Amino acid sequence: MTDNAETSYDVLIVGGGPAGQAAALELAAVGARCAVIDEQARPGGQILRQPPVSFAAQNWVDENSYRPLRQQLRVFENQAAIAWLGRRSVIGLQPGPQGHSLTTSGADGLQELSAAHVLIAAGCYDMPYPAPGWTLPGAMGAGAMQTLLKAQGIVTGEPIVFAGTHPLMLLIAAQISRAGGKVAEVAFDRSLATIGKSMIRHCATALRNGSLLGEAGKAMMDLRRAGVPVRFGRPLQEITGADRVTGAVFGEADHPETTPCGSIGLCYGFLPQSDLPRQAGLSVRWSSPSGGWATCHDQWMQSSVEGVWVAGETTGVAGAPIARDEGRIAGLGIAAALGLITNRDATRRAAPFRQSRKAAMRFAAMLDDIAAPKQALDRVAASNTTICRCEKVSASAVRETLGSTTDVNAVKRITRCGMGLCQGRNCEHMLIRMSAAAEGRGLETMKGFTGRFPARPVSIADLLEKPLP
Amino acid sequence: MSKRIGFVEPPAPIHIELDGEVVEAYEGESVAALLVLHRDGMSRRDRDGDARGLWCNMGTCSECFVRLLEHGRSRRVRACLLEATDGMRIATGSHTQDD
Ligand SMILES: Cc1cc2nc3c(=O)[nH]c(=O)nc-3n(C[C@H](O)[C@H](O)[C@H](O)COP(=O)(O)OP(=O)(O)OC[C@H]3O[C@@H](n4cnc5c(N)ncnc54)[C@H](O)[C@@H]3O)c2cc1C
Ligand code: FES
Repeated sequence: MTDNAETSYDVLIVGGGPAGQAAALELAAVGARCAVIDEQARPGGQILRQPPVSFAAQNWVDENSYRPLRQQLRVFENQAAIAWLGRRSVIGLQPGPQGHSLTTSGADGLQELSAAHVLIAAGCYDMPYPAPGWTLPGAMGAGAMQTLLKAQGIVTGEPIVFAGTHPLMLLIAAQISRAGGKVAEVAFDRSLATIGKSMIRHCATALRNGSLLGEAGKAMMDLRRAGVPVRFGRPLQEITGADRVTGAVFGEADHPETTPCGSIGLCYGFLPQSDLPRQAGLSVRWSSPSGGWATCHDQWMQSSVEGVWVAGETTGVAGAPIARDEGRIAGLGIAAALGLITNRDATRRAAPFRQSRKAAMRFAAMLDDIAAPKQALDRVAASNTTICRCEKVSASAVRETLGSTTDVNAVKRITRCGMGLCQGRNCEHMLIRMSAAAEGRGLETMKGFTGRFPARPVSIADLLEKPLP
Repeated sequence: MSKRIGFVEPPAPIHIELDGEVVEAYEGESVAALLVLHRDGMSRRDRDGDARGLWCNMGTCSECFVRLLEHGRSRRVRACLLEATDGMRIATGSHTQDD
């Protein structure tokens, strides 16, 4: 990849994670002029968030399962035909019949880029799980803790508690423990029996994916050896502290059990990034059971708008191997649309990626089933916890308003829930669940907030220098 | 307490100014990481005076806004996407109410 100053390309790719890299490599191989834009300085995406160049990192994410992704990253970084536009946030996507334009924001202001095809491979983010006390410094997404470790070499306040429903927290806790961080406890919301039932439902898949499950088993063993308790059926009731996190409260209201801690990682699943697709008017669907909006696509990963493509966790959270397969399929689809390869060629070359994607989807479905956050989120819905961090709106304030209207955009106007800087990324999923429940409607029939420019916060001074598109 | 761990071999330290206090940092290290080390992850106080901290460390939640003071102007930026450079001056909202 090379740094580049051009503004017009055949293909613009948003996101340099496994999906974006895979697509760029397919496209570069057939001579397409493509650029990859990312808010991060370096490519890798969330799973391979790289430390600063100046850090000589040793043993950096060296677990076996990361090897194929690291290999792809190395090839990507060495492919000179791909332009790398790092440290730039894409804040707007304007589809057009003659091509599409993207507005980006970086240290030196805004810039417009254009291309015949745009691929959105923006990934996902830690589900914002509103436990009481979750706005305290030291309470963060489990993925945030992990990226602080792998990209910055930082262990957050010790000892660390993990709480949630998603098994990824086992791997994260073990990574932190192996790196020398002190973990106080890993607390699963759901009982071992419930998790076992999910595994039995997906028994064939569980057997076929022995190595992935083995990794969770190894993490459990490493944690045991380090004396870290892994507990099940232990819902988080509250995070305590005055100016920072000092404890995590579990157990029933009449028998609270507090685990003292210096920070807590919440791991209830991941939501697809959906700001750009929704702002540009692409069709999306509610992503069950974890929530959030997944962008719809055809078999070549093209969205409902011609020339705008999607791949990876923007299309639903299903893990890095699937993200990579989707990136390759999208890359081939775009190459065919550009006339750089024939449709027949694309079909033939995409076949193995379709096959491995299909197999991996079964494992993703099992994980989804195990990690289902519904119960944990229902508790929040019935509480008075702050669900909108930016505007500090509580679940009880939202419940009150839902008595008069269940339209989420109206509730937003009345309560200010979702009006803040995060554009609703933190709270919308919760509001939609509450609104669906109040109306007795299925989540898949719900409509979300109206997508708006800019998809990422941008300074008013920058906008004034360059008027809104 | 948060801490740095040894899996990275950082280069010679640089210095940045965090709320007027000079702290040691490494070139390219994120300002969010420095907030974790020096402020327990705190980025500001909200309008009720409550301490608030970074949540996502990936540019999505907008909880980590700090002010970057340069060229006589103050820019609000996400600390988790801001890389430390020598002499950088940062103002958090952790001492004042800054919403
Ligand atoms: C914090 C975190 C940590 C994770 N760690 C692991 C792990 O250790 N193991 C594991 O199996 N899975 C992990 N996951 C799940 C993981 O994200 C995926 O499996 C994988 O990285 C998905 O690949 P992707 O290419 O779809 O997206 P990503 O890897 O997320 O890549 C998307 C990229 O797009 C960029 N981007 C998004 N929006 C914009 C925008 N508007 N402007 C500019 N750039 C943008 C992001 O900066 C990012 O680099 C993690 C998820 C998160 C959120
Ligand atoms: S910590 Fe979420 S945007 Fe920086």
